[in-house]
Amino acid sequence: MKISREWLQSYFEKPLPDAGVLADALTFHAFEIESVEGEVLDVKVTPNRGHDCLSYRGIAKELSAILNLPLVPHPYGITDVSLEPKTDALKVTIENPQLCPRFTAAYIKGIKVGPSPDWLRTALESIGQKSINNVVDATNYVMFNIGQPLHAFDAAKLTEKEGVRALDVRMAKNEEKMLGLDDKEYALASSMLVIADGNTGEAVSIAGIKGGKPTGIDEATTAVVLEAANWDGVTIRKTSQALRLRTDASDRFQQVISPELTVYGLRSAVELIVKLAGGEVVGFVDEYPQPQEMRTISVSLPKINAVLGTKLAQENVVDVFKRLDLSHVQQGEEFVVTVPFDRLDLVIPEDIVEEVGRIVGYDKIPATELTAFPNKPEVNANFYAAEHARAELTAKGYSEVYTSVFADKGERVVANKVDGVRPYLRSTLIDGLKDALEKNTRNKDLLQLYKVKLFEIGTVWKGGKEMILLGTADEGGVKETTLTIQEVTPLGYDDLPISKTERYRPFSRYPFIVRDIAMWVPTQTTPEDVLAVIRATAGELLTRSEKFDEFEKGEKTSLAFRLVFQSFEKTLTDAEANTVMEKVYAAVRAKGWEVR
Amino acid sequence: MKSGSIHPVSSLIREANRIFFDMGFSVADGPLLEDEWHNFDALNVPKDHPARDMQDTFFIKDEPGMVLRTHTSSVQIRYMESQVKKGIEPPYRVIVPGKVFRNEATDMTHEAEFFQIEGLAVGEDISLANLKGTLERFLKELFKGASVEVRFRPSFFPFTEPSVEVDMRLVGESAPPKLRDRWIEMMGAGMVHPSVLKNAGVDPEKYRGFAFGMGLDRLALLRWGIDDVRHMHSADLRFINQF
Repeated sequence: MKISREWLQSYFEKPLPDAGVLADALTFHAFEIESVEGEVLDVKVTPNRGHDCLSYRGIAKELSAILNLPLVPHPYGITDVSLEPKTDALKVTIENPQLCPRFTAAYIKGIKVGPSPDWLRTALESIGQKSINNVVDATNYVMFNIGQPLHAFDAAKLTEKEGVRALDVRMAKNEEKMLGLDDKEYALASSMLVIADGNTGEAVSIAGIKGGKPTGIDEATTAVVLEAANWDGVTIRKTSQALRLRTDASDRFQQVISPELTVYGLRSAVELIVKLAGGEVVGFVDEYPQPQEMRTISVSLPKINAVLGTKLAQENVVDVFKRLDLSHVQQGEEFVVTVPFDRLDLVIPEDIVEEVGRIVGYDKIPATELTAFPNKPEVNANFYAAEHARAELTAKGYSEVYTSVFADKGERVVANKVDGVRPYLRSTLIDGLKDALEKNTRNKDLLQLYKVKLFEIGTVWKGGKEMILLGTADEGGVKETTLTIQEVTPLGYDDLPISKTERYRPFSRYPFIVRDIAMWVPTQTTPEDVLAVIRATAGELLTRSEKFDEFEKGEKTSLAFRLVFQSFEKTLTDAEANTVMEKVYAAVRAKGWEVR
Repeated sequence: MKSGSIHPVSSLIREANRIFFDMGFSVADGPLLEDEWHNFDALNVPKDHPARDMQDTFFIKDEPGMVLRTHTSSVQIRYMESQVKKGIEPPYRVIVPGKVFRNEATDMTHEAEFFQIEGLAVGEDISLANLKGTLERFLKELFKGASVEVRFRPSFFPFTEPSVEVDMRLVGESAPPKLRDRWIEMMGAGMVHPSVLKNAGVDPEKYRGFAFGMGLDRLALLRWGIDDVRHMHSADLRFINQF
């Protein structure tokens, strides 16, 4: 979520430190920061904190705890959370309260829709939102500010019957259509929740995701029905996925937010709208059949220290609770913490331990080695067999490869492969190894190998079973067998070598050219002497050079070398290789060696 | 005759096993084609939970409930279940090297199939400090000679509570220049969620544990300065024979 420092400042009396300091504070005590651009942080709120931290209010609470900076009083910006007076001019019916635990609404008359004031437009634009008009902007501002999504209906576009407008929360009918505020027509399904005009039965909003165009706010709007409801996260998530429609509202509802928050959302939006657009509140509606229960969690100081491996004192823990505004009572060694309504993530004692750990700071956790294990670790028979095979085969010149488990054919097939290619699970290692053998054989000269020999220890799915096979590939063919597991597992692993390579050297992806050179040299001249001259002359296009033949005749030795040329930038031409070879010939002749 | 090379990932696993074996860890294994109980439910990732979206999963046609495992954490459950069944109480210490899958497009840093190593320690006295100590020792021995610093940042995984991201920094002359003095994100870890222990049949009132999961391909990339993760499954000896 994008957080602008200036907007965030409204939660604090004292000036906030600069954006970099805020980013570090969050990184080490709460959330990863995706980016800091000027005064705007992009905070990656973890899924467990989607309940309360997809809002300025949530991030402000975190920073208040981390930096020990007090929040302004009434940080929701409101003091009155009652929804009075109630009105009979609006009637709300909820078909299934499991899916809509709470529905609050306000009926406001006499407003004047117009542009938003500068501060509001700037605030929204600072986090990449477009300003629309004062009413819509007010609902958006409140959503980002405290996390409660809202929706404003034009009251005149809802049907009035005997002085009453009605909103019904129900499941959509299959193939029911609704034109969204984004001018797209959505075909709904019976698994989706809608808000319908209770007097016509017509869907006016895809619940918690997108309002309908026909009842939307426009310049002529003078009365609004403002909705702040609470929705079942799974239903919102599935609907959003099915319709491919993600909105800032659905992002919040699918994380599940507290039904207690609706009141704060509604009251602050009402106050903001009346301030910006005038009008008066006719009254409120609040359907809340089963209020959220308050929860307590008990955790002791010894438990906190045992899980974290720390030696925190009681006052350290109390300080964390105070900073996080977690009210608690102490009963002996136990802290009984009353969970704030918006902290739906706090359920078990370990959740409280995490709060203590991260606010105190994980840098305060010592690094303590485990105590000695009382038993000797077991030797894993499969792993031992694989290691044994690796040792045996590498000694015989075989190199180990891993090829993909995905194949063109096989017994089992992936249902949802994103790229669509090779969707089967392989039933053999042979095809992959055959490809690998061919590919590597083409590079034999480059690899300075006379014979390419490969092996793979890999999983296949064959005869309805998953099994590990050992495959080998060489000029004799490609074979596979089951990995031989020893009957008696040894007590320990053999001391096998690990790679001594320090750095990997990237290789050129362009084709290479091979040239051979043979010459007579005096017997006292070594192949290394010749190679040194060749290498110094040929320059960086020479990727490989080695002697492949040597014999003596009288006072002279015949030496033959294979030279491989390759460029990192392009495909070499024969002419380019020839130019280099001419230089090599000249250098060799200059040494008095006789090119054959 | 010139001997062949083992794959760099195999070399890393061999080395990791040697280090962890000395700390009392055995190697455990499990199937790549896994049921949703071991891959998700038992790990405290309930159906319809947004956390399931965190990992794009390969499902198998006509085999509902089966997935290509998205992490080696499934073997945490399998290992604990098998010990409980044999009547063996904790302490448990295992590492799980193996292949895992994510249903995503591949590029220089992402592969649909890659290698992870999981670690699990369960006992009466396991703490987050032990996690730090164990990882510090592992990374110190892995990056021999270099001085290694380990730090935790808060994170979230459904199967650990508390959850942390683990960063590493190599300091001193013997650190590879490209890695020197720079914090590098290494893995996710944390204290095993009590529900995970319970789901595997271990009493969470009596025992606690830590767990970590680290990408081996990424570790290989860092360790040797490899430029493209797709080399890992390329079966190209221009790559393999450098190790």
